[in-house]
Amino acid sequence: MSEMKKTAITLNVNNETHDIIAYPNKTLLEALRDDLRLTGTKESCGEGVCGSCTVLLDGAPVRSCLTLAVAVQGKKITTIEGLRVGEKLHPVQEAFVNHHAIQCGFCSPGMILTAYALLKENPTPTETEIRRAISGNICRCTGYAKIVEAIKSLAEEGK
Amino acid sequence: MEKFSYIGKDMKRIDTASKSTGEALFAADLALPRMLVGKILRSPHAHARIVAIDASRAEKLPGVKAVLTARDTCGDKWGVFKYTQDQQFLPTEKVRYVGEEVAAVAAVDEDTALEALSLIDVAYEPLPAVFTIEDALSPGAPQLHDVYPNNINIHVHINVGDVEKGFAGSHLVREDTFAAPEDSYFQGEPYAVAAQFDHAGNLEIWMPNAGPHLKSKPLSNVLKIPLNKVRVRKITIGGAFGGRSEISPADVICAFLAKKTQRPVKIVYTREENTVCTRQAHSMIARIKTGVDREGRVVARDITCHMDGGAYSSTGPIATSVPFLCMEQAYRMENVRYNGYRVLTNKPIRGMFRTHGRAFACGVDIQLDRLGEALGIDPLTMRLRNARQTGDTTPTKSYVASCGLTETIEKTAKRSRWAEKFGKLPPYHGIGIGCNSVQTGFPMGIRGGSQAFIKLNEDGGVTVITGIVDNGQGNDHMIVQIAAEELGLTPDDIQLITADTEVTPSDPGSYSMCETFIGGNAVRLAAQDVKKKLFRIVAEEFGVGEEDLSAKNRKIFVTKNPEQSISITKAVRMALTRNESISGEGSYWPNVDWKREWVKNPYGQLSETFSFGTVICEVKVDPETGQVEVLEVTASQDVGYALNPKVIEGQFEGGVAMGGQGGMLTEYLQWHEGRVLTPTQLGYLVPLAIDMPKINDIIVETIDPKGPYGAKEAGMSVAMSAAQAYCGAISNAVGIYFHEYPITPDKILKAIEEKKKGDRKE
Repeated sequence: MSEMKKTAITLNVNNETHDIIAYPNKTLLEALRDDLRLTGTKESCGEGVCGSCTVLLDGAPVRSCLTLAVAVQGKKITTIEGLRVGEKLHPVQEAFVNHHAIQCGFCSPGMILTAYALLKENPTPTETEIRRAISGNICRCTGYAKIVEAIKSLAEEGK
Repeated sequence: MEKFSYIGKDMKRIDTASKSTGEALFAADLALPRMLVGKILRSPHAHARIVAIDASRAEKLPGVKAVLTARDTCGDKWGVFKYTQDQQFLPTEKVRYVGEEVAAVAAVDEDTALEALSLIDVAYEPLPAVFTIEDALSPGAPQLHDVYPNNINIHVHINVGDVEKGFAGSHLVREDTFAAPEDSYFQGEPYAVAAQFDHAGNLEIWMPNAGPHLKSKPLSNVLKIPLNKVRVRKITIGGAFGGRSEISPADVICAFLAKKTQRPVKIVYTREENTVCTRQAHSMIARIKTGVDREGRVVARDITCHMDGGAYSSTGPIATSVPFLCMEQAYRMENVRYNGYRVLTNKPIRGMFRTHGRAFACGVDIQLDRLGEALGIDPLTMRLRNARQTGDTTPTKSYVASCGLTETIEKTAKRSRWAEKFGKLPPYHGIGIGCNSVQTGFPMGIRGGSQAFIKLNEDGGVTVITGIVDNGQGNDHMIVQIAAEELGLTPDDIQLITADTEVTPSDPGSYSMCETFIGGNAVRLAAQDVKKKLFRIVAEEFGVGEEDLSAKNRKIFVTKNPEQSISITKAVRMALTRNESISGEGSYWPNVDWKREWVKNPYGQLSETFSFGTVICEVKVDPETGQVEVLEVTASQDVGYALNPKVIEGQFEGGVAMGGQGGMLTEYLQWHEGRVLTPTQLGYLVPLAIDMPKINDIIVETIDPKGPYGAKEAGMSVAMSAAQAYCGAISNAVGIYFHEYPITPDKILKAIEEKKKGDRKE
């Protein structure tokens, strides 16, 4: 670590600006969890396979474990904590709760953000499009059926 | 009026909104003031003597607050049973698998902790190691432990009826061998533990667990502090699947580091540590010999099963027994012999797994298919002719109080249109069936029963206090449903304090599917206790009998004249002003044979009731690539009574994913000697959304006489039947019966090739 120097990093997360001092090799996941205490973003594999650490970068889902914090300055970062509006759950969160798409809940933040991004881009996805979109997010509990149902219910509303 | 307000209804789970927002905290999310980072140094050798450990360089590194070695943990040994205490939390003499804990550090941050690990000098003397069941059993093989000759850790022997006579009298007998390598849990949440001590020597500790009381007692033993000083706290748990039940060396190490530093310490496992250093599922070789009569009814069965248990006992006696016990529950078999051997190797430790024993279960089911084929009887009829029935007694002497297996077979067959499909599908299309049964707990000694308390608030709301733990399956919601139903309150009126050893009374934990049956019954009894006390006061007020009253919609009313009512709030206030106790308690102790013991006496009532399931799967195999496309799966289980049907469907669907789609197609650990080559989701392929077929769920209800509202358990029999259905379907599609699992494309292509050449006639 001695060759590397800490640097100031400015992050725009959920419409708030945060300044942190960190080594340039700090991942966005570490910055969110350890510096900003936004622990809704989860680490499950740490190598970009499972999707648990998904956050939105200017609206697009990315793996925060493979993203360097220093590289996303000036971009709009959305974490699961930034989705709800005041006291109310966001409709995607509500659909997940209503359709039993959440069991242990560890993959849910990443899964919900992926679903949110999909519906923003394509408000009426087909089942295959839904399955494809969430296939970067691993859920070990549900077998995905209820997750697909939850997203489908929103797709139908979008029609 | 409807019978129930909440029971049997599709209800939103009370815990999922906070999981949807990131508010729910898992162990790795905890941050306490002055918290240190703990890291564990692990063995690079599969088998080696520890000659010396020198931690002086690590201790001197700035930022390191403590280094822990076996000197600190006194070499204490842990085991689930008195006769299996063989694992030291930090080994003193030798390491037995790659990844075993050797030392640990607590430091101000992760980088420092990792650097400190690299400064601990361990001198090893490598020893010859064994990596397979065959090698471990061969004469002259290196021995892992002095106390287990020939590396045989556990031998379970069951012998019922006259097996030889049964074979002699059978119309047809076959013997086959089935095998599968290790699979793994891959819970979403990697293992994590946080611990702190206060000035009075009380330990607070958070970790994923399948029962806080299963954790607190061994912690109390090894830390040598009374149980009331060990406070295992409630925390959100990211899946267990059988893998979070025992004390982990990480729990002990974290507690010792917290004690040594007098600061909070948190250890978060990497994905690789979660795969290698928690538990894995056993690899297995099952030799099964079955004799049937002309109609396909099993007359005699003889099973010898070898399981690779890895380096230590873990839940060995249970693991060695359960695959057999599930099948003896599912199918009638009068003359049966079972020899289960758990063999020790220099590989990571194996424990109980949700879909434990795919080689075993597929062996029994696929062999039924083969026997049926020889007799001209289809697989469905073979199942129906051998299916367990209500009122039966299993070979090892468990009375079966309720059994809907036949109904699950019939309904699953109808929904999947079995009769139209079996034997009539186009080439390389196939359909298969699997059945199984699971327990709702077993004799668990002093922690075998559950107790619950209920506290009433002056506005009529309540707090339910129970040791029931929620691993993600929805147990917390079940408690709320039961309490609200019994007390005539709404779910909003119920608060929970659960899974906290300081506050909550004894409970067996979410282990072996017992929380609904045992914990749920205790909560129901506690609620009934409260209700009785309130009814006594209201009955006196109304001048009616207690039995004339009901509670619903936050009111207590005369059942025959609902107009005559009083709000529960008012009833509570009346009780308070009369100085009458209105807290409730309930306890449930299952009716099992407490003399039953896994090895010494494997006979007697194992569990008070059992669930039964059937899965049918339809596939299409690509003969060019060996790829399997799963077209549709139908899953059914006798759950007793569905407390919350959507929750049960979710369990079925998750069970099909883990047991069938993953368990039969893609999931297995790959090895180089004792080293796991596929410790992450990159190499170990758990099913993705795009992989999963359409799943039809069928809930069968038999209303168990003792279950809460008739409920038993919510989906394990489906999880334990899915592999067989997948295997049967692929075998049916290819025209070759598969005996080695999972059935990967290379095995399918090889089978098709051999079949074409005529090498394999099936």
